[in-house]
Amino acid sequence: MTTRISRRTALAGGAAGASLLAAPAVWGQAINRDRIILGMTQEPVQFNPILFVNAGTENVPEACLFDALWDINDKGAFVPNLAAQVPSRQNGGISADGLTWTVNLKRDVKWSDGAPFTAKDVEFTYQAIVSPNTPVRSRTGFDLIKAFRVKDDFTIEMELSRPFVPFLWAWQNMHIIPRHILGNEANLATATFNANPVGTGPFLLRSRTAGSHMVYERNPNYHRGPAKVRQFIHKFVPDQMAAFGQARTGEIDYFGLLGVPPDRWTEVRNLPDRDFLVYHTPNVQFIYYNCGKPQFADARVRKALTMALQMQKSIDDIYFGTWPRSLSYLQPTHWAYNSNLKDYTNDPAGAEKLLDEAGWRRGANGIRQKDGVELKFTMSTTAGNVARQGCQALFQQNWKQIGVEMEIRNMPASVVWGEYTTRSQFDTLLVGWDPTVGLDPDYTARAHSRMIPVKHRQGSNYVQYENAEVDRLLELGVTQTEQADRVKTYHRIQEILHEEVPFAAQGGSVQGHLKRKQLVGPTPNQYVTDITWNVQDWHWA
Amino acid sequence: MSAGAVASGGVWRRFLRHRVALGGAVVVALLLSAALFAPALAPQDPTLLDTSVRFLAPFADPRFPLGTDELGRDTLSRLLHGGRVSLTVGLVAMATTVLTGAAIGIAAGYLGGLADTLLMRFVDTMLCFPQVFLLLVVAAFVPPTLLSISLVIGLTSWMEVSRIVRAEILNLKEQDFVAAARALGASRARIMFRELLPNAAAPILVAATLKVASAVLMESYISYLGYGVQPPLASWGNMLTNAQGYFDTIPWLAVLPGLAITATVMGFNFLGDGLRDALDPRLRMDP
Amino acid sequence: MIGFLLRRLLQAIPLLVGVSVIGFGLMHLAPGGPLAVYTLNPTIQAQDIERIKVLFGLDQPVHVQYAKWATGIFSGNWGYTFFGGRPVLGVILERVPATMLLMGSALSIAIVVGLAIGVLGATRRYSVFDVLATSGALVALSFPTFWFGLMAIYVFAIELRWLPSGGMWELGEEGSVVSLLRHLVLPTLVLALVITATWSRYARSAFLEALQQDFMRTARAKGLSPRARLLRHAFPNAAKPLVALLGVELPFLFSGALVAETIFAWPGMGRLFVDALTMKEYPILMGMMMFTAIFVIVGNLLADIAIAAIDPRVRLS
Repeated sequence: MTTRISRRTALAGGAAGASLLAAPAVWGQAINRDRIILGMTQEPVQFNPILFVNAGTENVPEACLFDALWDINDKGAFVPNLAAQVPSRQNGGISADGLTWTVNLKRDVKWSDGAPFTAKDVEFTYQAIVSPNTPVRSRTGFDLIKAFRVKDDFTIEMELSRPFVPFLWAWQNMHIIPRHILGNEANLATATFNANPVGTGPFLLRSRTAGSHMVYERNPNYHRGPAKVRQFIHKFVPDQMAAFGQARTGEIDYFGLLGVPPDRWTEVRNLPDRDFLVYHTPNVQFIYYNCGKPQFADARVRKALTMALQMQKSIDDIYFGTWPRSLSYLQPTHWAYNSNLKDYTNDPAGAEKLLDEAGWRRGANGIRQKDGVELKFTMSTTAGNVARQGCQALFQQNWKQIGVEMEIRNMPASVVWGEYTTRSQFDTLLVGWDPTVGLDPDYTARAHSRMIPVKHRQGSNYVQYENAEVDRLLELGVTQTEQADRVKTYHRIQEILHEEVPFAAQGGSVQGHLKRKQLVGPTPNQYVTDITWNVQDWHWA
Repeated sequence: MSAGAVASGGVWRRFLRHRVALGGAVVVALLLSAALFAPALAPQDPTLLDTSVRFLAPFADPRFPLGTDELGRDTLSRLLHGGRVSLTVGLVAMATTVLTGAAIGIAAGYLGGLADTLLMRFVDTMLCFPQVFLLLVVAAFVPPTLLSISLVIGLTSWMEVSRIVRAEILNLKEQDFVAAARALGASRARIMFRELLPNAAAPILVAATLKVASAVLMESYISYLGYGVQPPLASWGNMLTNAQGYFDTIPWLAVLPGLAITATVMGFNFLGDGLRDALDPRLRMDP
Repeated sequence: MIGFLLRRLLQAIPLLVGVSVIGFGLMHLAPGGPLAVYTLNPTIQAQDIERIKVLFGLDQPVHVQYAKWATGIFSGNWGYTFFGGRPVLGVILERVPATMLLMGSALSIAIVVGLAIGVLGATRRYSVFDVLATSGALVALSFPTFWFGLMAIYVFAIELRWLPSGGMWELGEEGSVVSLLRHLVLPTLVLALVITATWSRYARSAFLEALQQDFMRTARAKGLSPRARLLRHAFPNAAKPLVALLGVELPFLFSGALVAETIFAWPGMGRLFVDALTMKEYPILMGMMMFTAIFVIVGNLLADIAIAAIDPRVRLS
């Protein structure tokens, strides 16, 4: 979810850890009921909703200024926004064979410059997404649209090339852009619209002070009713500690990204006048094993390596127990999570036995080896990420105990996540990711054998995992329309992944957000990366 | 009248009289020995982590005289080993800086003309890169070993030295002793290295000691950012990265490495100042 | 003089070309790049990255990319940022006033105070003042700037609550001079501290050198007052290395401002630079390099002219 790249900016500030020593009772700022100030450690730079890449922070202008066809609420249900209703088999929006999707759009919706919103705007958005000239971040789902028809001003019809249940997520992820403004732009990437966005959303962009903050004003003509505060201010404080300090003094009303550091959670729960929200992000942290490397070719080795690790201890010690332990690529609160999986970690004896069985014996220097290959490898992640370094240090020790040598090799974010990852050059990675199609349990891009970038130039199966049964199940899962069937399919997939361990899940990442008690509205939603998913409802009690 | 004419006894006497400089020399000697003998002096393995003993305060537990950090590693051991790292980088970087800067400065200042222009244009080109930029970019390009970090720091900070030296040479070369040497038939190289260099030694020495100090500071900054010395190898800079998140609850984690850096840098600064005064051949007793 | 200026301007061109080539090469040859950000977005797959690579022009060989960029610069087009598609020149210029304000304030304080301390120290050598000032300068120089900034924030913003901990203005008070000054104090002081200390040391050293020269003895023998000796003889001679130093100090000032800006969340060029470096925003990085290069060239030019003006023996070659 949140890209870790700007974490360095957060660390580089290094200011006022001392700001926390402000008196335990919160002093200072009275509430200004006219406005809400949201504080984050990262600044959005891309305001065109189909072009941004840095989810988490750039979701804010997206949510404030634009709408999608439908949103997802904190219960996991799709809620119509620009669409009149969410298409389904029951209401005829989805044809029986799952290939034709009909969407009725809301009428009387206006763009913030007064122009009317019509189906042509949706068509234009679709065309922009699939155009080769647009640096849109992803086309997942949209590349399956065989035909796009505008039936009338408020109805569209899409024909897919194959049934794809997660198609709803595609449209949830992409907000609609105006045809009457961008239709004539040769290059969407450099249009002036990107600095002066026009949308249908609950707010208008009033001003932007680079490096400092952005001011939004209520859109009086918003189709879901005007927002409840006049001004919404998005403030960027690059240092996490300074932002935390400002949340305590009231200079920030709601502190979101990156949130309160885990070691302060207990203390912060007792603050008067403040609410502490535990925000489950969709993000799960893994160790990625490159199955293409000789040391990791055998699934037993991967399992044994994972067995030797003290995963729970790493969460308890380094994340102060705030993260839920996950055994798969989903957070344990997800509807498709397989809770029958057993945690086999923290078992060095079992690990040693399994390695011996697999033929990896200790050599003269204490390091296991087989057929001339030593069980020696590197682990990489973003340099400067203190928490992950702590995990790496612990894992290094765990592995040393069983005769495995791991060398920590961290690099700046722009290096490690470049070709080092995408061309599967790594040995192991410590990395966190959300699922790949919204919060749908579909994991084709990361686990299907035809999605290996080095071999097939598509997908994001960087670990180069190949398993025919998993392939079959993945292909099945996106066609099943009954939730119960899908649960069965994805449970089985997680079972296999748990046994073969192309990636070893550590835990689900959680953030601690702090807000003023009187601020009503901010609600954790584990199905989105966007904490402003319901910003139009935020108000003062 | 060249520096060689000053009796070495005079140099010593003047140096010893400068008590603050003497203090600096003592500090530097102490630091160098601590760094040299760090493995023997450190009570624990600096990379051993044990979260059951983390966040200990200094003097709370005799096993960890200066407390432990957030992963239970002994602070004193990490300070000692970190000192080793930081000092090594500082000294190697300084050597690189001084050699490069002085050579270029003297050549440019004395030779003048085209050589001066070309060299100074080269200096200008190098100066256009903010040092931090070069350091960070190269840190991505080469594996961040101690040698590469030292070389990069050294090769990006010699420009100031060359300019100071050049200005000093420009000053000196109009003086009589140079004209005299030329009249006596001395070659250009001889004039540059036997006549000008010793007289320019004072600013070079001042610059050199400042450069050790600034190299230590530079290393601490890039390690603090995460680009320099990589954990688990400790350096004073990356100890500060880790400490910054616990600044209010366990301030000594941030204070101690910062003090160590400050003390080291101060030591070299005072030392350099004393050396400068001592070596100045035209020293007067009163202002 | 005109000839000198013209010649220096002509010399500046290959300099700028050299800077741009070295910078461009370093950035593109170094591993990693702006595409790494895309990898971390979970919806993105390898084919998306390939597609974006082509749209950013990064699939072309390095010299082709450079040629495109260079021709752009010549026609005044500094390019667009990868993320956000904003004109690079606009983005940089947006941040310039803040940095200039910070650097200017710090430099002014540093020169005035540093010179004063240095001169006083040189003329009253080994007095209590001199020893205190010299030691004090050395101590000030020894603090790591970023660490000193942290301590300053802790003391003044947190414990004493006299000053804000960061940013340039209070929200809603943009344009208020009082608010700006309150926010300016800490970063300026932190930045100025190190520069003042450097200046005082070099000033003292330069003045001591000048004071030891024979012409000072001559001036004394001529019966000139200490003041006159200082101003008419010592000062011009000491000024030369100091002016040279000023020319060199400018990029270091920028580096120092970078540290101060990140710690105090000051929205200037330094912070823009750090962010651009993390994301490998080549267009901004190249733009900033050219900007700094032009800055340095002009600065050195002025310094050389000043040296020639002070010392008639030096010819502008």
